[in-house]
Amino acid sequence: MIQVTIDGKEYEVPENITVLQAARLAGVTIPTLCDHPELTPYGGCRLCLVEVEGARTLQPSCTLPVSPNMKIKTDNERIKEVRKFVLSLIFSERNHFCPYCQVSGGDCELQNSAYAQGMTHWPLSPNYTNFPVDASHKYIVLDNNRCILCRRCTRACSELVGNHTLGIEERGSNSMLTADFGVPLGESSCVSCGMCVTLCPTGALIDRWSAYKGHEDQAVKTKSVCTACSVGCGIEVLVRDNNVIRVDGDFEHPLNRGVVCEFGKFSPMVEDRERITSPMIRKDGKLVPVSWDEALKAAVDGLLANKASLGALVSSRLPVESLSAAKDLFTEVNAKFITTLEEGAATAALSAYAEENHNAFESKLEKLKAADFVLVFGDEILDDHQVAGFFIKRNLSRGTRMVVITHHDSKLKDRADVILASKAKSADVMAALAKGFENQQKIEEIAKAISASSESLAAAVKLLSAANWPVVVLGSDVSADLVREADHLMKKVNGSLISLKGGANSLAAAQLHLDGPITETAAVFAALGDERPSQRVVQKLEKAQFLVACASYASPVSARANVVFPVKNWAETEGHYLNLDGRLQSAQACVSAREGVLDTLEVIQALAKQFGVKLTGSWKKELTKRQAMVALEI
Amino acid sequence: MAKPKIASDWMCGCAGCHMSLLDMDERLALVAELADLRSTPITDLKEPDEGGVDVGVLEGGINNTANEEVAHKFRKRCKILVALGDCAVFGGVPAMRNFFDLQDSLRRAYVEAESVDESGHIPDDPELAQMTKVRAIQDVVKVDYFVPGCPPSADVIFYVLSELAQGRKPELKDDLIQWH
Repeated sequence: MIQVTIDGKEYEVPENITVLQAARLAGVTIPTLCDHPELTPYGGCRLCLVEVEGARTLQPSCTLPVSPNMKIKTDNERIKEVRKFVLSLIFSERNHFCPYCQVSGGDCELQNSAYAQGMTHWPLSPNYTNFPVDASHKYIVLDNNRCILCRRCTRACSELVGNHTLGIEERGSNSMLTADFGVPLGESSCVSCGMCVTLCPTGALIDRWSAYKGHEDQAVKTKSVCTACSVGCGIEVLVRDNNVIRVDGDFEHPLNRGVVCEFGKFSPMVEDRERITSPMIRKDGKLVPVSWDEALKAAVDGLLANKASLGALVSSRLPVESLSAAKDLFTEVNAKFITTLEEGAATAALSAYAEENHNAFESKLEKLKAADFVLVFGDEILDDHQVAGFFIKRNLSRGTRMVVITHHDSKLKDRADVILASKAKSADVMAALAKGFENQQKIEEIAKAISASSESLAAAVKLLSAANWPVVVLGSDVSADLVREADHLMKKVNGSLISLKGGANSLAAAQLHLDGPITETAAVFAALGDERPSQRVVQKLEKAQFLVACASYASPVSARANVVFPVKNWAETEGHYLNLDGRLQSAQACVSAREGVLDTLEVIQALAKQFGVKLTGSWKKELTKRQAMVALEI
Repeated sequence: MAKPKIASDWMCGCAGCHMSLLDMDERLALVAELADLRSTPITDLKEPDEGGVDVGVLEGGINNTANEEVAHKFRKRCKILVALGDCAVFGGVPAMRNFFDLQDSLRRAYVEAESVDESGHIPDDPELAQMTKVRAIQDVVKVDYFVPGCPPSADVIFYVLSELAQGRKPELKDDLIQWH
């Protein structure tokens, strides 16, 4: 700790922080534009200039490290004048006319800064230079005319997401935000995570699905959990008049610290499926709306008529409460299967291995954030667990090495240090790595056995040997052999293993033993929630003579169901989720469902009542009964 | 002491700031008590007294030679000149035109617009004022007080006018600053 004086008061602050960070710790506000707590300091806007005793000129507080006994002034006439001048220069550069800008009226940090400095006008008139507008992207509109070149977007794109799509072309006042090597944003390598939009302080990057739907101060913000995959990112949902107007990452959430992906941020905004709003039963081959009582009776009658051959399907996007209730009910009525829509594909082998060895062998995502070597099996991580993928990609430019094991052409090939392509079984490739690590003279022989190139295997082994914090990431299609070999390898190199588990609550489903296969039964109860049933599930349900669907949206499953119950979607549901590294999180209802749409849990409870089954509701205890692959934080 | 004289006019704007001024409602009577309202676009007198007035209020930016004349006349005849609204202060919505070629803008408005039939043509009467780039008033004459807003709220206008009418200097800060 060192002593500094800020505005005449003494404070003790840690070493190795900036003056701006010290001021924030001391509760002193310094205006900023280009700074963002999650990004490396850049020192571009000069709004945060402060007076430091002994320094000839004002100093940018965001890049200046504190030093012992530093005397800092953050607010006096000289500083005020300079801040106004800095803003005047920014306003004079481009089109910053407020009346026709989306963010004007509270959401613009540039406008707010000017208000805070008491600016009633622009001392310098704008020079009216035209810059291009790029509206080619499906979610994002880029208007260079509103850009203040703070580079928060480019830093977010590279430092938080590791995508390096956004950059700056040209120099000085001609500098311009550009995607890749000057292609339209919509045709670029952008992965649509929207972090650039979230961090843009002005109207230069706007989200076309949220634009003009309301300002932040008109919205109610609810912190919740994303249900798109098993990472379980913290999100902040902005709601106005019971409509979701925007989803942002929660910057206070320790797991993702504000970072989200397309599925969390934009997919909910472009939901185009037909909402189911009334209970329906099939009459003369057609689904017709009926009352809840009539639908419940039809469901119970149909299920009872087939009680010798029942099955239950639940979506892993549903809260633990619903999963546990479904398990209680359908265990009691002797269902042939109770499982999730993905049938435990990503978790079954891991659970079995954990039970066999009586230990939680997996590590936490924090290890992935800090890894200096990542061995990736299955590049699905880029598609369905994007934020975990960002944790890897953003470290690559800081020296983290990546080896990808693949059977096919990998999407990571441009980013990986080594692609270990082999037609052999993944477990054998993993075992070959371990063998190679122990016996580096015999690489050629080992490579030959898995018909991989000995150069790649040697390179992979070399990187692995040099690593201090190696992590192996298992994507989907995980076999028992692969888990064993991966665990052995990581134990050998003192590394960590992390697996992706599929749906938001796949780990909870695994803990409740809802991870078996769907078998052929006469009747099926399918609680889909807002999940899109896969083609595979639709096919497997084709044989069922009696089908009950609890669904938020119309799908091929609801279309052929005998009874359909309208249920709440992600934004309307509250409940608990167990993410891939065992963190129990609670999702909040952000909007209220329309009348007549119930929670899946309420439907299960109503059915249980009809069946005369008592639900325990002790899901927390149930979650810990089975040995988990990762330490649970419940 | 005689009541201070106030005059106003509008230039390249939409008259919205004057509408907002009328939104002062019963406070208009208060302003009328405090000050002597002289020429305005909504009263009979059409220009400030030759002998001068205390406060001149201009709405709108400057987009042609006629506006320039009004601005110069106001500057000459008013002790204090107030720029009222975003167009007067910054150039405002009309300044969007500056990002395009003037002739292109005129052709778009008078010839190509969806509501124009084949008789549409760019007005060319020699008596018409010459169009220029749209400018904030401060780019043509010195302005003493800036009252941004699109439009400034009736509360802001009342605050500024009542302060000036009572010989004080209005200071816009915190909630009184709104640029749009």
